Amino acid sequence: MLCEKCGKYHATTHIRTVVNGVAKEQNLCDYCAAGEGLNVTPKSIFASMFGEMLELKPQNMKRCHVCNSSFNDIAKSGKAGCSECYKTFKAELLPYLKRVHGSTHHIGKTPENKDSINELKTELKRLVHEEKYEQAAVLRDKIKEMEADSRE
Amino acid sequence: MSSWYTDKDNRNFSVLSTRIRLARNLGGMPFPYKMTDADREELKTKVKNAVKNSNSPLISTLKYIDMADVPDTKIKAMVERHVISPEFATFKNSAIILSEDESISIMVGEEDHIRIQVVLAGLQLENAYEIAEQVDRLLNDSLEFAYDSELGFLTECPTNLGTGLRASVMMHLPLLESTRKLNSLCENIAKIGFTVRGIYGEGSKSSASLYQISNQITLGISEKNAIDNLTLIATQLTEKEIQTEDEIDRISLEDKIFRALGILQNCRILTSAEMMNLLSLINLGLRMGIIKEDYEPVRLLIDAKPYMLMDKYGDLTPDERDVKRAEYVREHLKPTM
Ligand SMILES: [Zn+2]
Ligand SMILES: [Zn+2]
Repeated sequence: MLCEKCGKYHATTHIRTVVNGVAKEQNLCDYCAAGEGLNVTPKSIFASMFGEMLELKPQNMKRCHVCNSSFNDIAKSGKAGCSECYKTFKAELLPYLKRVHGSTHHIGKTPENKDSINELKTELKRLVHEEKYEQAAVLRDKIKEMEADSRE
Repeated sequence: MSSWYTDKDNRNFSVLSTRIRLARNLGGMPFPYKMTDADREELKTKVKNAVKNSNSPLISTLKYIDMADVPDTKIKAMVERHVISPEFATFKNSAIILSEDESISIMVGEEDHIRIQVVLAGLQLENAYEIAEQVDRLLNDSLEFAYDSELGFLTECPTNLGTGLRASVMMHLPLLESTRKLNSLCENIAKIGFTVRGIYGEGSKSSASLYQISNQITLGISEKNAIDNLTLIATQLTEKEIQTEDEIDRISLEDKIFRALGILQNCRILTSAEMMNLLSLINLGLRMGIIKEDYEPVRLLIDAKPYMLMDKYGDLTPDERDVKRAEYVREHLKPTM
């Protein structure tokens, strides 16, 4: 029998895990079992759950301009293709995020992104991609200005 | 400097270990499951340089290791002693930045671009978070993390959005388990957004009474809140576990514990599962003061895992391992008289 987790190696270990009182039995390889012993992240169960929750939207043709993922790609894998996917599909994802987390608003630490120029450059790419050339031109001049400033 | 399972100063017989994990990603690069080999090389270089060019005092203890240079047995042994996640071991073309005592590991190219992990002995969530936060700042000095003001840190899996923080404790709760009090406690813990996972060893009936408790949600809960709540849960579970000591038949428990010790001190063949069960009793005996010797059951539990043994003694068949394990455990549990 192959390992039920990785499907790569022979299952040698029968493991019973209890999640919130519900028992689950699995046959795992040495490799996967080794990790199960004391170091189990709940992430994996939620990852599959999230994917299963999302309903496919065949009419949604939109694609992420950075990684080219469609909403259905995210729904099928339960994973975003890149950070830009969250901007592209935010409206579609919000209801599911609400169900998983009970909230859609981050509370807590914010990164120190000193380099806001990079953020604007990403925005510029998006505008060009969406063929909003006038807005893109304005933003491009702004970035040039900022870059000149930072060189002084 | 000792790793979590050999650190006697912070040892706690109920909360065996504390773990903090922060998920971080870089903008402008696909998430790991969509990354090409070139992307992964770029990611590794970026993180490596971020650490190299940092002036944080932390970096003196950090070492960059390309996982391609680590032999398979060593990688599996790293999983067994919780230095890396089992998932990370399966990723190709990844790297790790590891502190000398292995308490800090920065996994590069896991499910997220960067996974900062801090593992400490006992109940030390605040300390562990503080260290993870320092590592986070060190990296953030030169790397720009993908972040959205509404959704927080952006992660490959939407279930980690927000803080990207997974805080967890590993607890040994033999009496709450045997008196069947744990189930209703778990229900209450689940209601406030935490998950309890019981880990059973080989064979569904053998249990080492080990439980992992961690926060379930990451969006809409602050780091402090998650850590404070988990600390409270771990403290209360410890209290309840200790209260239960008064309800059990002392002499029959002592009998079980000393029989376990007798087997461990004399066995010649010891499977992983049997060892887990018996060491669970030794740990309980130490906690309750029934065993007075200075034994380290958690250290044995980790050191005598299959790949840990093979990392130390070379390739062994499963049968040879069981013999080696018995030898190793006997050596460490020598009667002191
Ligand atoms: Zn496996
Ligand atoms: Zn994308």
